[in-house]
Amino acid sequence: MTFKKIRFVTDSVADIPADLAEKWQIKIVPCYVNYDGESHLDDGKDLVRGEFFRKLPSMRTMPTTAAPSVGITEKAITEAAQDADHVVIVTTPAKLSGIYNAMRLGASNIPPEKVSLVDSGMVTMALGWQVIVGAEVAAETGDVQKVLDAIQRVRDNEKLYAGLATMEFLRRGGRVGWAAASIGALLQIKPILNVKDGEVTPLARIRTFGKAVEKLVELTREQAPLDRLAIIHANNLSGAEDLKRQLGDVVPENTIIIEVGPTLGVHIGPGALGVIPVSKSWRQ
Amino acid sequence: MIIEVKKQICDGHLYKWLIAAGLAWLEHNHERVNQLNVFPVPDGDTGTNMLLTMKRAYEEIANLNEPHVGIVSEAVARGALMGARGNSGVILSQLLRGFAQRLHGHENFDAYLFSEACKSAVDMAYKAVITPVEGTILTVARLAKDTVVEKATQESSLLELLTLMVNAAYDALQKTPDLLPVLKKAGVVDSGGQGFVFILEGMLRLLRGEVVTMARDSVLANGEHWQDALVPEDEEGYGYDVQFLMYGKDMDVNVVRATIDAMGWSTLVVGDDKLIKVHVHVHDPGKPISYAIGLGVAIDDVVVENMQMQYQGYVEERIGREAGTGADVDGVAVVTVASGDGMRKLFTQDLQAAHVVSGGQTMNPSAEDFLAAIDKIPNKEIILLPNNKNIIMAARQAASLARDNQVRVVPSRSIQQGIAAMFAYVNTRETDVSLDEITQAMTNALNNVISADVTNATRSVEFDGVAVEEGHFIGLLDGTLVAAGDELFEVVGQLLRKANASEKELITLYYGAGQDEAQARALVDYLIHDFGSQEFEVVAGGQPLYPYIISIE
Repeated sequence: MTFKKIRFVTDSVADIPADLAEKWQIKIVPCYVNYDGESHLDDGKDLVRGEFFRKLPSMRTMPTTAAPSVGITEKAITEAAQDADHVVIVTTPAKLSGIYNAMRLGASNIPPEKVSLVDSGMVTMALGWQVIVGAEVAAETGDVQKVLDAIQRVRDNEKLYAGLATMEFLRRGGRVGWAAASIGALLQIKPILNVKDGEVTPLARIRTFGKAVEKLVELTREQAPLDRLAIIHANNLSGAEDLKRQLGDVVPENTIIIEVGPTLGVHIGPGALGVIPVSKSWRQ
Repeated sequence: MIIEVKKQICDGHLYKWLIAAGLAWLEHNHERVNQLNVFPVPDGDTGTNMLLTMKRAYEEIANLNEPHVGIVSEAVARGALMGARGNSGVILSQLLRGFAQRLHGHENFDAYLFSEACKSAVDMAYKAVITPVEGTILTVARLAKDTVVEKATQESSLLELLTLMVNAAYDALQKTPDLLPVLKKAGVVDSGGQGFVFILEGMLRLLRGEVVTMARDSVLANGEHWQDALVPEDEEGYGYDVQFLMYGKDMDVNVVRATIDAMGWSTLVVGDDKLIKVHVHVHDPGKPISYAIGLGVAIDDVVVENMQMQYQGYVEERIGREAGTGADVDGVAVVTVASGDGMRKLFTQDLQAAHVVSGGQTMNPSAEDFLAAIDKIPNKEIILLPNNKNIIMAARQAASLARDNQVRVVPSRSIQQGIAAMFAYVNTRETDVSLDEITQAMTNALNNVISADVTNATRSVEFDGVAVEEGHFIGLLDGTLVAAGDELFEVVGQLLRKANASEKELITLYYGAGQDEAQARALVDYLIHDFGSQEFEVVAGGQPLYPYIISIE
């Protein structure tokens, strides 16, 4: 089998740090975030995340994320295909966003044998890890099937837990059915959410954020030994650094701390922290 | 009824009369027992708890015509167990149970068997308490028993033996303040011990042929038919409660009392020739008021309450409360204890408790109340969450009595601990875990919070260096008195400082009946000066007697 040159395309929901995107030549299609009557591109220029989270509490209406146009996805995919034998597109879940469909349509001009489209079932760095590991395996093996297998194994061996500082944004978003239900109606809670297969479910209701962070530590340790770890935060860098310290010796090298994008961010709200561990077992 | 005073044998009939006499004398004196507050908290229910326990015990034999003392004493023990309330009530039920155990199979008892049964009773009572505390009803029972055991070999007359026993019990009661410092500081003898002495005294009075008045309603109405039991006997209903003060000169209290009493019932007229307080229940509230005005005296502080409407309101509220207010849950269900609408709603709606038994500090539910609640819900696996240190024993009793269910107890000592445990419950019950694992998770969660309570002192006392005046606010930290004063906000502030709340994250204020949200918000504004980095949460609890229940975590 010949060694294939494989390029990757994903969307801005993946929260992949710029240096890693550059290193692996990953094309990132920015999504739109609509708020206060305007549409902003989540590209780190038009929309600066830290600023966005500071404004979020005072926004009159709940921001929404919108898929990029097919014109944008087509351009990104075509560029990637030009200097590669194969393009792997990994996206935000179709359940959550129209991005998957925009990518599908944007890839329609490429011969089907030269492109693979993967619904990651995940958001933020849980999507990001699938792309990064895929790129690493591609560089090593040049084998499309091995790349797709690796992406699936990462998906099976990674977790995404988020601890929320407030229920307010989850309620405003209205996406999470149980948040509107009775639990937490009379007493405030700091929920721990579990994201899996495009579904957001409550894992625990906790009274204080301190205890919620302890729970995140406990949940992360359950996944040890870790191959990789991303710590996400919404306008709470110091909280993320504290969380990393609390994790102690389970933290792998090159752990990433990153501000979460608006897609998940608008639901979990400022102050939130999250962990995205990938267990070493993915390599087996 | 003629009692042969030199009786040397007690059969089932006599034992029944002894129990009835003990009950009657306790009933006559139970308010005195209630007033022996060991602690300046409105917890004055020891007498009521013991009375309810004895009533339920007597109810079991009220219609029993049985000469076999083994059978009668067993019935008494069963009734006491079902009706046991509060720590003293539960211990009393264990005394009666141990007593009955030794009499099993005996048609009657003599002095020797009596002493043996007393030994068995005390053994059983001590076993029922995890860490027996001396200076309580336990000590009184034990020392009384010692005398009986010592004298039974020489004294064959049950009357003489009981006389010695009562004297020994009374002496032991006087020693309780030396054994339990908390009593000495408060200047009282132990209330449970006093209740026990009254029961023995009642029995002795019967044997001596002294008057032991028996209240007409001393057989407790069956709890299942409480509505029937509450229907007023009077066709005109419960009528009005009328109270007022009379200011005059040369008034004759006795004449006023006799006149007012002829107008209605539940009459209470006290005072002197210048000031008289009148309290009476009547159908026509105009009558006593007109009478006082007719005497040419001034009246003041007139209170007229429609008891019929209060009664109807109570019935409606209780029906509403008992009708399916708990959460429908699969698998393991929780039965808990709370009072106040807000608290009840919190437990059933937010925290998914299947049933809330009404009760708390002033009204301790019995084992029977727990069993009735368990019967009401379909779940087979049940966790009992008592939320008060005085209710834990009744919950444990219920757990041991439950036949068709698997019942566990999570020993929550406060409402705050109960709420913390319920969070563990809602977090674990959706995952596939066993009853014991859920129980463990809930038990582990009990210490996640510090419990702070604010209430009013019922008597003046100096306690652990804190001077308390009757009516002042007092602050309790995990049950220990740490703050007192006449300003509510200041007491809450002192309490939070003692709890080191500035090192914690979240302070939740559950405001009670008589407070409102605006007052609670004002309290938060006051507290925020000292506790600026803490998060405050204000929740309507609606609990009686406690303006604020506070959890710190």
